[in-house]
Amino acid sequence: MIGQIVGGSFRDIVLRQKSDSYLEIGDLLVSEESDHILILQVFDLRYGSQMDSRLHEMMSGVVLEEQVTDSEFYEPDFVNYVLARVKILARINSDMTVLLPKGIPKFFNKLRMITTQDLQFLQKGDHDKIFVGHIRSGSKVLTNAEVWLDAFKIFSHHVLIPATTGRGKSNLVKTILYHLLNSNRVGALVLDAHNEYYGQKDIGLKDHPNSRNNLVYYTPTNPPPGSRHLIINLNTIRPDHLDGILNFSEAQERSMYEFYSKYKEKWITEMMLYKDTNPDSDNQNDAMSNTAVRVLKQKLRQALGLRINEEENIVESNHNVFKNNTGENTIKQIVRNIASGKIVVLDTSNLGDEAELIVGSMIASDILNLYKTARAQAKLHQKPVATIVIEEAPRVIGEDVLKSRNNIYSTIAREGRKFQVGLTAITQLSSVIPKTILANMNTKMILGNELKLERQAIIESASQDLSEDDRNIAGLDLGEAIISSIYVPFALPIKIPNFQDVVEKVSGSKPRMKVF
Amino acid sequence: MRFAHFADIHLGYGRSDALADLERRVFTDSISRCISDDVDFVLMCGDIFHTNIPEMRVQKMAMEQLRRLHDAGIPVYAVYGSHDFSPIDNSVIDLVVSAGYMIKPPLTSLESGDISLGFVKDSKTGVRIAGIGGLKTGRDRDYYDALAREPPESEQGLCIFLFHCGITEMINTIGDEGMPLSLLPGGFDYYAGGHLHKYQDRHFPGYANVVYPGALFAGHPSDMENSANGERRGFVMVEFDHDIIKSVDFIEMTACGYRLIDVDANTKSSEYVRNEITTEMSKIPVNNKVVILKVYGELARGRTTDVDTGMIRRQLLDDGAIDVVMHMRDFTSKEYAIRGDSMGTVQEIETNTFKDNIKQVNLKRNNLTGEQGVRLAQSILSATRKARLANEKSNDYNGRITSEVLSHMDISDGGVS
Repeated sequence: MIGQIVGGSFRDIVLRQKSDSYLEIGDLLVSEESDHILILQVFDLRYGSQMDSRLHEMMSGVVLEEQVTDSEFYEPDFVNYVLARVKILARINSDMTVLLPKGIPKFFNKLRMITTQDLQFLQKGDHDKIFVGHIRSGSKVLTNAEVWLDAFKIFSHHVLIPATTGRGKSNLVKTILYHLLNSNRVGALVLDAHNEYYGQKDIGLKDHPNSRNNLVYYTPTNPPPGSRHLIINLNTIRPDHLDGILNFSEAQERSMYEFYSKYKEKWITEMMLYKDTNPDSDNQNDAMSNTAVRVLKQKLRQALGLRINEEENIVESNHNVFKNNTGENTIKQIVRNIASGKIVVLDTSNLGDEAELIVGSMIASDILNLYKTARAQAKLHQKPVATIVIEEAPRVIGEDVLKSRNNIYSTIAREGRKFQVGLTAITQLSSVIPKTILANMNTKMILGNELKLERQAIIESASQDLSEDDRNIAGLDLGEAIISSIYVPFALPIKIPNFQDVVEKVSGSKPRMKVF
Repeated sequence: MRFAHFADIHLGYGRSDALADLERRVFTDSISRCISDDVDFVLMCGDIFHTNIPEMRVQKMAMEQLRRLHDAGIPVYAVYGSHDFSPIDNSVIDLVVSAGYMIKPPLTSLESGDISLGFVKDSKTGVRIAGIGGLKTGRDRDYYDALAREPPESEQGLCIFLFHCGITEMINTIGDEGMPLSLLPGGFDYYAGGHLHKYQDRHFPGYANVVYPGALFAGHPSDMENSANGERRGFVMVEFDHDIIKSVDFIEMTACGYRLIDVDANTKSSEYVRNEITTEMSKIPVNNKVVILKVYGELARGRTTDVDTGMIRRQLLDDGAIDVVMHMRDFTSKEYAIRGDSMGTVQEIETNTFKDNIKQVNLKRNNLTGEQGVRLAQSILSATRKARLANEKSNDYNGRITSEVLSHMDISDGGVS
């Protein structure tokens, strides 16, 4: 027993802490009722006393000014104490069904700390679930209470991972992706801007026992054995892949589509090699058109990192990703792998921001189209969920970006759910994502965030009422998180394990193979 | 100095006498070309035969031609292909190697579980050759995963790596993923490939000269169709100095001329399709040509059998065609179609069926699930499909098939090996 209910209301129950107990913000408590239990959570702590505060102040004066060292209150445990404000999270029936609470605990009921036994409703994972961590009560971790989420459900309904730097975001994403490798129920495109997930130099997704079958890694330079060169043929880029990623004036857009119409898939190469036919023309239309093409060339050259090899009259790319003589099937192969339930990690660390988003846009467009076709043919149920994991999500779904034009990422955020295509958006700035999109992200894996504005945006769009959790979120330490989702009975406080501990240790030596 | 690079010869693929004769002729002519061009050695990168134990006439013909090379002092370095490999050491390649007409670069299985490449040094040129053949059920991928990757020492002259698998970066068709280029060992001067039936010569960072000569004649139903559409068939001739590849040239070997009759039956009646075929036949000269009749799509009315393929064949042969190859697997009828995912070749249908069904079972062993499971099921099905050999006793046949199936499953008589 750690305390007793002494007052409050449905949303704000007051508990007196037992003198030998120590409550923390976020602690999970249990109130045993006649035929069920209630799970409650501490969201605030303050002092309580039977004495007037002026008396406390006077007593402090005596101690501080008169150097009295052995003074104490008469029966201090009775007189001064800690009051906790708690909220009810869930009602658990004896058959382990979980309901939203509609009543409050019996008055004066004594509460105890939660135990693993109380959390049996958390079903252990099978291959279609992902492990995200252990239930956390305050800073205490219940190592036997594992939290597994239904991967198919959560990823089709978009996931938001709001986190500031240094709160364990990479560790969480790696942990999630690692478990996705267990099965083919979810395919993912991971645009890995820091090249940190595959584990070229360290432990990573490659260390999963199923990585050979379910992990596909593309990198532009020196791919390690088993991985692939990230080479994309310039001819596979269409003007619509640039929608909402690069900004064009009307004249530039017109020129772009004119080139596309004239040169078809070779439009970028032709544009890069294009020389003003009549640079000194007095004709105003010619001049405007030439200017538009020049600016367009410049924008594409910068965005895609292209350069022109004047000697050979060919277009090359600075980071060796875009080429016009190879890589015709890369996008198709990536899409095919994702649609087979594999995790495709693209090392985009050498690419600029825009080039990364354009590559993602090409893949995301094809996936969405493929899934739309599957739905039209009533074959969607045969496909795994596809999710696009994108860091710094406001680059594509931020309010500012979407003011001018939609892009494929915002389209997926708005309508992808119908087609089993979801976004997994990672961001430090949730507040700049439109509320309609935030509300559509039905699972939020909330890591620590010290910015009030950001916490507010997350709280307002969460699937559970987190209105009292502001301080709780601010105080989340490295690896601590809150899972708020329509697929969990209440906002689950968790401790995410260290990825290195998640990776299964391969024991023993390899068996000797027969050779032919 | 020069060498010839062959792959996917698929001896024994042509079932009819006419196709078998073309196959023999083009192989014999190719060998003659190698001898007349005085090549230093020949590479054969898998699927030299269409099956691991081809008919006796095919074996005999192959032996005769390989002996010509042997007698001319031209060594042949070879690896298995997925077609002529046998997991129970029951491949005609082994016979040819034992006879001394071929040299297979060795592999060593190390105590550590790794695989080490063994090099064969060509005595005349000093070229060092290593390789990994195409096996079945993804075993060759296991080899690549376990490969001890020590690049060959560059100062010792030209190094060639033989392999038989599709490289992802070079596959142009959707449906075959292949194997990433990065799995090939680095540091070789020439990567002699087999498995992809189209000639390709590509260069990648760290991997110069990755070359597929393509099929010499045909080994897959689509090969002759592609030939009819202009795809060149032949082998590759490579000129080199001590340690430099000077040129890679494709040597075209034309087996015959082709004519393709391509009919889309979608939304048409069987009578309309029949007439369309007859009209096409009357328009194109077929004399001394192999005719490929390709009919696909779903008839709106009538049966597929209303299109009398026997009569069409007879007519084409009467008109002087060398042979008629029918591609009608995608030809169905709305009225009588068998439902399900019946699109594609037999192999594709089998693959799709396995893929669809394997998801329904919950198994713990990795090799029974996912793509590995599909490959295993395919190899077992393929093993059980093998015909009884002439004079093979029933018990021997049963034993051979059973042991091959068990071998595919990595199961010995005593259990899992």
